[in-house]
Amino acid sequence: MKRNFRSLFIILVMAGLISVLFACASPAPTKTTTTTETQVKDFVTWFQYDEKNDDPASDERVGNAYLRKTIPEFNADFSGKWNWVNVPKAWDKMTAELVAAVIAGGDVPDMVELGGQQTITYINNNALMDITDWVKAQSWYADFEPGAIKACTGPDGKIYCVPTAERPALVYVWSGRYPNGFPTTPEQFLVEAERLKSEGFYAWTYFGSTAYGGSGAYRMVWSLISSYGGKYDDGQGNMLLNIPENVAAITFLRETVAKGYQPETVFAGGFVEEDAFKDASAGAIPTGLFGYRYINPLTAPDGTKFDKGNETDMIDAIAAGEVIMRPMFAPEGNIPGCNLDIQGYGIPVGAKNPEASHDYINWIMSDMTRTIEYVIGPGAGFPTLVSAQSNPAMQTPFYQQAAIAINASQCSNWAGTLERPAEASELIMNAVYKLIKEDPTMDIATELQKAQEEYNANN
Amino acid sequence: MRSAKPRKPISYHLRKSLPFWLILPTLIVIIIVQVYPALYTIWLSMQARHATGWEYVGTQNFERLFGTGLFPESVGHTVIFLTGYALVTLTLGFVIAILLKQKVPFTGVYITLLFIPWIIADIIAGLIFRLMVTPDYGLFSGILQNPALFPPNGLSILTAARPAPWFGSFPFPPSPAMIYLILAASWRALPFITLLILAALQTVSHEVMESARIDGANLVQLTRYITIPLILPTMVVALFFLMLGGINGVGMVFSLTGGGPGTTTYVISYLLYVIGWGQLRFGRAAALALLIAAVNWLLILSVLRITRINDRSR
Repeated sequence: MKRNFRSLFIILVMAGLISVLFACASPAPTKTTTTTETQVKDFVTWFQYDEKNDDPASDERVGNAYLRKTIPEFNADFSGKWNWVNVPKAWDKMTAELVAAVIAGGDVPDMVELGGQQTITYINNNALMDITDWVKAQSWYADFEPGAIKACTGPDGKIYCVPTAERPALVYVWSGRYPNGFPTTPEQFLVEAERLKSEGFYAWTYFGSTAYGGSGAYRMVWSLISSYGGKYDDGQGNMLLNIPENVAAITFLRETVAKGYQPETVFAGGFVEEDAFKDASAGAIPTGLFGYRYINPLTAPDGTKFDKGNETDMIDAIAAGEVIMRPMFAPEGNIPGCNLDIQGYGIPVGAKNPEASHDYINWIMSDMTRTIEYVIGPGAGFPTLVSAQSNPAMQTPFYQQAAIAINASQCSNWAGTLERPAEASELIMNAVYKLIKEDPTMDIATELQKAQEEYNANN
Repeated sequence: MRSAKPRKPISYHLRKSLPFWLILPTLIVIIIVQVYPALYTIWLSMQARHATGWEYVGTQNFERLFGTGLFPESVGHTVIFLTGYALVTLTLGFVIAILLKQKVPFTGVYITLLFIPWIIADIIAGLIFRLMVTPDYGLFSGILQNPALFPPNGLSILTAARPAPWFGSFPFPPSPAMIYLILAASWRALPFITLLILAALQTVSHEVMESARIDGANLVQLTRYITIPLILPTMVVALFFLMLGGINGVGMVFSLTGGGPGTTTYVISYLLYVIGWGQLRFGRAAALALLIAAVNWLLILSVLRITRINDRSR
């Protein structure tokens, strides 16, 4: 009896184990919604926005609202074909997650929202589909700004994403702090900065920390360096930092830091530096065009409050003439520089329904209303379609001010031909931080040379 | 002609193989969550990812890792962090445990309060400590940034530069941010270490202590010659616990300093995160992970050896 019981027990253990193994090995059922006549497939996207988040104080309010409105509209227009399922992802984790998912052969979305730097990282990791033929066959392709499509083109000349909005960098300025206008040269800036300091204010605030993978390298630092005629690459994929223009720009920046023309929060990371602009204790903030989404509420130098606590605060302050947008100052004879990023869409390698992405992209790019809705929504920039740039929605005070800054600038993507932008930005910003903040006695050229050699050793 | 061996019944074979079947699920789990990832990491450490896929690069990932400026710097920071972390936590833990051992009113309440940091996640604790010293509006910024207290310009923990190094390029003395990181990490680990030491103190024989007192030993002598030797094995275990946690933990660095200001709080685990998930250089990250794993193995072997010696001596 006892022996029989033991045998039965062993057989049960084996049976249980085998069924667990089979259960693990079976593929998970694909999630689809069936109707009586056709099969509706899921169109899975990764955005940094979350349509389910309706918090009016959320930093991502505009993008969240866009998805909340657009998803049902898309589902209605493609009823019986696609069911849009959005998966919100943290903006600074999305790239790593997608690359890891592609490499591991895991579930990837049908479409991912991306920026210029992410595109090259994805291409380097074979994470985006080549969509050259499809993009070139679309009616809106001929309408693209050449610079925009270049940002989506890989080193192999193939197109890997569709640029939907351009996001240049510029300087938001409290007009009350600069009654004579924002300086156009470094020399003028130093004079104005000294005046503001004597009045108890900071000339400017900016992202000057090494946080977020050295992203400071392509924020204010790039605007300044490119305005001095500097660059980060030699046009052949090598890093080139040790050039007189870069040294001059960093020498200037070092001087402003030593004189305390910026709040200490500039170097603390976490975007706390924005606070000094919010309360007008700093007169200017160089940042991306879309920065207005995050810099609120505002108190103008004259005490006027713009305190709805969302993106309309900056728009209202611009409409009231309290905030103006200007290019970065540049040495006499130079054209101000700025970083030009794009916002767009890519289709990951392994996407189950790339046709759904084609349908969505066509859906917004072929209809001017939807294009504009995207551009002033999550795009947060200028349209990449030339025909959309004259749209009345682009003639608001906000866009008029932005145009003043951009038309006076020569914007380019900071990474140039560097194929490992994530590594490059980290190296560059660590070097710049050391030179301007950590040890202002260090030889600039030597430190820049060291950083470029470390990068180039891995080419 | 030999007669055929009598065949054993199936139940006999099943019974004989029972241990195997019982440990098989555990083996499968270990293979999936430990053996496979370990082998994959070794494979990965010899690969580089390109647009065309993986490429075998031999030991190049290790060579390039050693060639980066951040690697030796991070090793230096890790040594400083671990030393400070272990010293502060063990010393404070010992002192607090001694105090708690005294029969004072509300000891239970003190222990409960003491345990609060332990239940807070690393990331959250880091964020709280960060908020306390954020320049301009942090809770302690008013005091720290007062030039009268910290001449000449006040002290901004999250942005202050590190002092000039005393020993070549070894990052000592540490930056204010590193000291703050050590204090924050110690605060977080203190409850567990204190309770560990307190439990060990309870095992110290009252009679031995009493005899020493009668022989004229003062408090310092009691601690030095009786208490510490008796609880030393527990202290060693606590030390290795702190070392393992300190060398692998990244949450506190991530949320408190983000490796900054500059690179002054880049420890080896944070460097691993940056290379792997920031730069997406998985091959190089795997190489670094293997080096960290080797240090971990050495630490674990040391603990095993020390505890085994201790067992033998009993």
